[in-house]
Amino acid sequence: MAMVALRREGRRFLLSPMSPNPATAARSAILSEEFNPSGTRSISTQVVRNRMKSVKNIQKITKAMKMVAASKLRAVQIRTENSRGLWQPFTALLGDVPSVDVKKNVIVTITSDKGLCGGINSTSVKISKSLYKFTSGPEKETKYVILGEKGKVQMVRDSKNSIEMSITELQKNPLNYTQVSVLADDILKNVEYDALRIIFNKFHSVVSFIPTVSTILSPEVVERESESGGKLGNLDSYEIEGGETKAEVLQNLAEFQFSCVLFNAALENACSELGARMSAMDSSSRNAGEMLDRLTLTYNRTRQASITTELIEIISGASALTG
Amino acid sequence: MASAVAGSSAAVPFWRAAGMTYITYSNVCASLVRGCLKEPYKSEAATREKVHFAISKWANGKPEKPTIRSDSPEE
Repeated sequence: MAMVALRREGRRFLLSPMSPNPATAARSAILSEEFNPSGTRSISTQVVRNRMKSVKNIQKITKAMKMVAASKLRAVQIRTENSRGLWQPFTALLGDVPSVDVKKNVIVTITSDKGLCGGINSTSVKISKSLYKFTSGPEKETKYVILGEKGKVQMVRDSKNSIEMSITELQKNPLNYTQVSVLADDILKNVEYDALRIIFNKFHSVVSFIPTVSTILSPEVVERESESGGKLGNLDSYEIEGGETKAEVLQNLAEFQFSCVLFNAALENACSELGARMSAMDSSSRNAGEMLDRLTLTYNRTRQASITTELIEIISGASALTG
Repeated sequence: MASAVAGSSAAVPFWRAAGMTYITYSNVCASLVRGCLKEPYKSEAATREKVHFAISKWANGKPEKPTIRSDSPEE
C-alpha cells in the first residue's frame, strides 16, 4: 500500500508542470530533466535528498518483509506437502464432485488475515462469488463461511446478507490439525449443508497458485449419489470394525473428511500467501530501487550543474579583472 | 458387514449420544495419546495442540460479537 502511494507520489513529483508559485517552481526545476539556468544558484537539493532517504527506508522494509516471508515459507511448504496425503484417500474413496446439484450450499472461502500479498485474496473472493451465482437458484440456499480478515472485508461490500459465519486470527499460532479440526467442528455444528465447497489457493510454486474448489457432501447426499451409480460402491468391499451402520460410517467419514480437507486447504492458502507476499515484496523492492536510481540521477545532475555554474562565474570574474 | 447389520438396531455410539461429532471424538482420543508420550516429546506434541481463533456469527448482514476460542482442545 505504501509502495503504491509512493509510486504515485513519485510520478506526480516528476511530472508536475511548472507553476507560477516560486516554491513549486524551484522543486520542479530540481527534478526536471532540463537544466533551468535562471534559478540555478538558489536551488536546494534538500527535497530530493529527503525523498531519496524515504525511498531507501521503504526499500529496506520491503526487503525485510520478503526475507521473513521466504524463511517462513520453507517450513510451511513442507507441512503443506505432507498434508496433501490427508485428503487424497478421501478423494479416492468418496470422489470429488464439484458439479453436484444440491439445495443447501455452503461456500467456505479461505483468505488471509494480513494484506500485502498480491492478488490471492481477491482471487478467492472472485471464485466464491461466481460459485455463489452458479449454485444459487429458486428453492436453493447458498451461504458463505469466511476464513480470514481480508476476505471478510471484500465480501461485506456486496454480499453481507449471505454471510453465515466469519473466522479470524486463525494464524496467530502456527497452523495445526487440532486447531483446524476444532474450527471444522464449529462450522459443522452451526451450519446446515448438503454440500460444503471449500475455496482456497493451492500452492503450486512460489509464483503460481491455483484457485481450487473442494467439495464435501453431506452423508445423505453421498448415499444418494452412490445409489445413482456413484463411486461409493467401493465402500462395501471394506471391512469395517465396530457395529456401525453404513449411514453412521458415512457420517463419520464426511465429518473427518471435512476437517482433513479444511486443514489442507488452510495450509495451502497460508503457503500461497507467503509465496505471494514474497514475490510482491520482491517487485516492490525492485521498484523502489528503480525510483532511487532515477532520483539519484536528477540529484547528481543538479549538483553538477550548480558546481559548473559557480566555476564559470569565478573564472569569468577572474578573467574580467585581468582583462 | 454382518456385524454392521446386527448393530443397526443398537443405539448410536456413546460419544455421538453425548453430542460430539467424530472430529471432537477423534481429537479427545488424539489428545489422550499425546498425553502418553514421555517428556521431551510430550511438550513438543503439546505445542501442536494449541487452538486460537475468533469466530463470529452473522445475522441480518451484521457480525455478532466474536467469540474467541483459545487453547481448549477438548470442549
